[in-house]
Amino acid sequence: MPIPTPFHDRTASLCTSHRWTDWAGYCAVCSYNLPNDSEYYALRHAAGLIDISPLFKYEVTGPDAAAFLSRIMTKNIEDIPGGRAVYCCWCDDFGKIIDDGTVFRLDKDRLRVHTAEPMLAWFKQFKRGFNVTLEDMTAKIAAVAIQGPTSRKILRQITDVDLDALAYYRVLTVQLDKLPVLISRTGYTGDLGYEIWVENAAALPLWDALMSAGKPYLLQPVGLDVLDIARIEAGLMLNGVEFHNAAHCLVELQKSTPFELGLGWTVDLEREPFCGQRALSAEQAAGSRFAFVGLELDWDEQQALYAKHGLPVQFNRGAWRSGVPVYNNDGSRQIGKATSGTWSPIVKKNLALASVETRYAQNGTVLKIEYTVEYRRETVSAVVAPMPFYNPEHKKT
Amino acid sequence: MNSSTSNAYDVIVIGAGHNGLTTAALLARQGRNVLVLERRSTIGGLAAGEEFHAGYQTDGVLHDSGQVRARVVKSLDLKSHGLELLQGRPSFLALDPRDRGMLLGNKERRTANEINFYSPEDARQYHRYRKFIRQVAGVVNRIFDELPPAMDSSDGRTLWDLFKTGFALRRLGKTTMLELMRIAPMSAADWLNEWFENSHVKAALAGACLTGTFAGPWSPGTAFNLLLWECSAKYSIKGGPRSLIAALEKAVQSRGGEIRTNAEVSEIQVSGGQIKGLLLKDGEHIQASIVAASCDPRHTFLDLIQGNQLENWQEHRMQHIRGTGTTAKVNLALGTQLEFIGRSGEKIAFARTGCHLDHIEKAFDVCKYGRFSAEPILDIHIPTVSSPDLAPPGHSVVSILVHFVPYGLKSQWDQDQIEKLGDTVVAALEQYAPGVTDAIVAREVVTPVDLEKRYGLVQGHILHGEHALDQLILRPTPECARYHTPIKGLYLCGSGSHPGGGITCGPGVLAASVIAQA
Amino acid sequence: MSQVTQIAQPFNSHIPTESYDAIVVGGGHNGLVCAAYLAKAGKKVLVLESRHILGGAAASDEIFPGFTFSVYSYVVSLFRPHIVRELDLTRHGYQVIPLECTFTPFPDGESMTRCGDPEATRREIARFSPTDAEVAPRFSLAMTQMASFIKHLIDSPAPDLTALRISEVAKLLGLGRRFKALADGGKYVFTKLMTMSAVEFLNLWFESDRLVGPMSVSGIIGTFLGVRSPGTAYVLLHHYMGEIDGAFRSWGFSKGGTGGVSLACARAARSFGADIRTQAAVEKIILRAGKAAGVVVRGGHEIKSKTVISAVDAHQTFFKMIGAQHLDADFVQQLKRFKYRGSSAKVNLAVDRLPDFGCKPGDGPHLRGDITIAPGVEYLEKAYDDAKYGNFSERPFLDIVIPSLTDPTVAPPGKHVISIFVQYAPYHLKEGPEQWPAKREALGDTVVDTLAEYCPDIKDSILHRQVVTPWDLEQDVGLTEGNIFQGELSLEQLGPFRPVSGWSRYQTPIDHLWMCGSCVHPGGGIMGAPGELAAKTLLKSS
Repeated sequence: MPIPTPFHDRTASLCTSHRWTDWAGYCAVCSYNLPNDSEYYALRHAAGLIDISPLFKYEVTGPDAAAFLSRIMTKNIEDIPGGRAVYCCWCDDFGKIIDDGTVFRLDKDRLRVHTAEPMLAWFKQFKRGFNVTLEDMTAKIAAVAIQGPTSRKILRQITDVDLDALAYYRVLTVQLDKLPVLISRTGYTGDLGYEIWVENAAALPLWDALMSAGKPYLLQPVGLDVLDIARIEAGLMLNGVEFHNAAHCLVELQKSTPFELGLGWTVDLEREPFCGQRALSAEQAAGSRFAFVGLELDWDEQQALYAKHGLPVQFNRGAWRSGVPVYNNDGSRQIGKATSGTWSPIVKKNLALASVETRYAQNGTVLKIEYTVEYRRETVSAVVAPMPFYNPEHKKT
Repeated sequence: MNSSTSNAYDVIVIGAGHNGLTTAALLARQGRNVLVLERRSTIGGLAAGEEFHAGYQTDGVLHDSGQVRARVVKSLDLKSHGLELLQGRPSFLALDPRDRGMLLGNKERRTANEINFYSPEDARQYHRYRKFIRQVAGVVNRIFDELPPAMDSSDGRTLWDLFKTGFALRRLGKTTMLELMRIAPMSAADWLNEWFENSHVKAALAGACLTGTFAGPWSPGTAFNLLLWECSAKYSIKGGPRSLIAALEKAVQSRGGEIRTNAEVSEIQVSGGQIKGLLLKDGEHIQASIVAASCDPRHTFLDLIQGNQLENWQEHRMQHIRGTGTTAKVNLALGTQLEFIGRSGEKIAFARTGCHLDHIEKAFDVCKYGRFSAEPILDIHIPTVSSPDLAPPGHSVVSILVHFVPYGLKSQWDQDQIEKLGDTVVAALEQYAPGVTDAIVAREVVTPVDLEKRYGLVQGHILHGEHALDQLILRPTPECARYHTPIKGLYLCGSGSHPGGGITCGPGVLAASVIAQA
Repeated sequence: MSQVTQIAQPFNSHIPTESYDAIVVGGGHNGLVCAAYLAKAGKKVLVLESRHILGGAAASDEIFPGFTFSVYSYVVSLFRPHIVRELDLTRHGYQVIPLECTFTPFPDGESMTRCGDPEATRREIARFSPTDAEVAPRFSLAMTQMASFIKHLIDSPAPDLTALRISEVAKLLGLGRRFKALADGGKYVFTKLMTMSAVEFLNLWFESDRLVGPMSVSGIIGTFLGVRSPGTAYVLLHHYMGEIDGAFRSWGFSKGGTGGVSLACARAARSFGADIRTQAAVEKIILRAGKAAGVVVRGGHEIKSKTVISAVDAHQTFFKMIGAQHLDADFVQQLKRFKYRGSSAKVNLAVDRLPDFGCKPGDGPHLRGDITIAPGVEYLEKAYDDAKYGNFSERPFLDIVIPSLTDPTVAPPGKHVISIFVQYAPYHLKEGPEQWPAKREALGDTVVDTLAEYCPDIKDSILHRQVVTPWDLEQDVGLTEGNIFQGELSLEQLGPFRPVSGWSRYQTPIDHLWMCGSCVHPGGGIMGAPGELAAKTLLKSS
């Protein structure tokens, strides 16, 4: 049985749809209302409030804290100045990805790591020789994401801190409505947004403060269904969908590497040894077999397929993650897989995230993706498109 | 004192025990420029004789030298360096508090006669037992002299070696081959029960397979250890293990090899998966491209090499090598000669207690719970029988390996416990050798914790890791089983490698053969 | 009882007169599976069971009015799913309800419940060790990998390690290839699995005694070994066999008790035309010119048959039904050293209410799975130490199930049956095995006292108690030395060594005499594989 998060008292009364899911053992709202269009548009045009407490949170402290994390992560954490956050991933000895997440450097020797899966045992393996303490804060800290164009204005209502100074991927300890919180300019929606980390005891007052300050700015609570659409529009991957933790894979084919996932930019190879370094260096030299791409499905072809049955184009509400094959241009050979996708109400296109053989990864390459209409498996053209699909200017400014 | 010695050595061996010296001597003989670094002020490790009280010496911490590989003695010409290898393993007395016990020796008929005293049927069986041992000894002995199979290798040679061993095994005949495979996972008790009826006889024979292990006679897998010992123990070294060390030292030095004592390695420096050099505790840095470590592999990998130079899976395997010491040492200086009951006037150099399998097993039982038995199993050696010069005239030395004394004693190894162990051992010995208590001039008790401190044995394990089925052959871990390691230039040459602990010099020889090709 | 009479008739009321293609001696689940396969292939088959009910050790009986017990065995763990499919057993009443969880109470008032919800299980284990909680899924994955490798060994006759025939060498090479195909980590795990003790193997992953203790016990069930005895690790695999066969969980209750499985097999055999007789104790296997030619049933009736297949253990078959004088001395010698030494007992309780555990009060899912009294490695080792010297454990390992919580047919409404597997209760008491009847109730008291340490009110709730000692297993079911697996499942008695080196392929030195019980590869447990493989091998050879 999943257990409630620290915000449960509020989210439960707001969740009129009664649609819940199990997120890492916690009850998480899929969507507050049915249909959830208002949640989506709030997120894209005003602001949405998302309970992200089930994320795993670890605090690493001690003189070797940054060196220790550098040993684990593909990114050199020692280079990160205080007050900065980074997105990165970590691998096994063979360069296969374990998980991804954000690392906050709160201080010279105090860092926090946020992960999708429990990682205490994985991190602990590397402790030999490092003077660090590793603490699991998951059950002690509640977290909420406030995302969307009006999010900064909402926060200004309850803090004196100059939020313009809190640049993209920065972290700051502030008072929000007199509640001490950690605030980071991070998120999973590809828009302007913040994540707020707070002790459990202050969770409900924080929720109330945000909701009342947000009311004039059309803030709405947002569930995971809409978050899923938003993250695909932003081209952001999800553990368990776009990749699988290598430690949970039965065969090699199920594993992937940061390079294959387009996370090469998070890999700092030239430095002290880190887990997977040897394999990743070799992969960089030899090239990767797969690449991570965004696909835009051809509208006319979709329309034609439906027209064959005398139907107008129909779309599922929300994102899919069931996985479909991707073929080369003439449809003669499978060259990859699309792992998730969605109809984007804002881009007005059917989008997909896919893993394809490297030579098909150039922007503009036309591929074929499986597409089922009236129980018949067909294909439609899909073009490799730059990601993020939706990238508003105010995200980073 | 941060001097850096230039790369003057081809090979540096860490540890001057019998295996380290063997590797060093063999490589020096091939013209390599060899340096041996020993942490202690004396060489020899567990084979070193120790003066534990002014005027009284042992001839080695371990005393069974019967398994030393004859090819070492031959290929290093140790004879010319003063070593005398005697054919036939020494007799040992299986003690019995109520009787004269059984003197089990190299001579089959004489041994059968001793057994006959306990059980005529078992005396007859003993001949059959020995016949079986002779039948399989050739094949079993090959295990000691061959490189373990590579678990992951497309190298044709390896397959060929495997095939050859397989073929030799097959030549034994279908029945014997299956029999060997059947015996391997058995307990010594079960296997001996198939041969013998008398509990004294069974206990006397079982003793040999229990040295250093965390296993009682009822533990599965011990039959294999017994079989290995029965097949390979064929010699004795005159003067004991220390004579082997003296000869090996000369063998190293005669070929220009250098041995440095008081030279403790504090770090094996690695970069990019390759050996760069050694850092000594006193700050000295020595460049090296080939290092052979004869210390416990856990020490090599988990203490000497920095954490970030090992891949995670290797570190995990090293951390999970099983080897928690179960052996203590008690040395006694006696003002008289030691005499066992019913054996007055006989020259007994080796003796063992434990006259019933259940008695041995019970001594093991308490060890599982972090205590030592009130009736411990003693493996007794009286070096002064053959080397009277180790003690003042008329006096004697009793060197006792005490089995099933846990490294992790529940109540901690403090002075009280150390004395209690000493008293327990002496009281036990008194049952078999009345009067010994009063003859004691001095007593030294070396607990597993002391063994760790003194000899650098990880968790006081005298074999550098359990001799159990899961840690034999592919020893210490599959990727290091053939003496080279995932770190380029680093080799293992100690008891933690195949064929394992005890004074065999086997790991030293096999490691040298691999390094010679590097 | 009524169910049995529909399938099988008592021998004396329907004495078979004709001659058969095959007679199966022993109507346990393996004998019945074997008979069903042979009958399905068109053979004329007779099954002879000495008792009044079918099932052997996998039998259900209404011991006390209204309370039906799986008298000897308790859960169905490994029954091969392809046998269910091939014999269409579901149509014949085969129903296994999976066990939901494993509940381990500890003496200090703590408890651990591991169930099908991975996150809840992680949180539960994390109370004792957060790292163990995270490692547990990785352990399951490694075991699943091992199970899919080993599955081929269980589902085919044991490899002949010495044969030089091309087909055998090819089989070994195939095995080698599969081994080679395992990733490096897999090979490492496999070699450790085959050589280590359950505890040490688990310690490669886990640190918490509270987890390692209860997990390790599946390595020792039915053996005279401790959780730290090398060779016990590989039995842990059995827990993961079900997963790769598509079953949700591998342990379950059979509807109507474990006898339900046997009855389904019997019905299947009947449907293919096999004859089944109860109360037909085979006294002798008839030899003509050194070949098996039929059997003599108690009362002197001779029945002829082209082949005799024994589902009883090797000791019974060769020493009681054949006689050592008809056998080669070397074979006799090897049979004699085959180890039985039963180590377990069974206590069956009829109770008027559910047990109430102090550490987890009230009813709940924790009672619907198996309840393991194995609070730590030291506890289990001490239990084993007692047995080594010929005593039953002062505080034994108990594996408890309450089938009446999931199967309404086995107890009156509101009342329950509690099935307790007890280890160690060594057959060889230091006073001698024949002293077991005198010690039977003392063992029962020890078991109830042990349980009462965790749920004090159990004593008041007991309506009836039945204690089945290893001696009873030998006397009542004919299991030599009370070994529930017809011979210890230790490494040297597995595969090509079971029961005798060179005779693991169901044939015996006596022509036309075959073996199909748990004493042949792949061994014991309610698995059905020996019966199936024997039948298939026999059909192929004829």
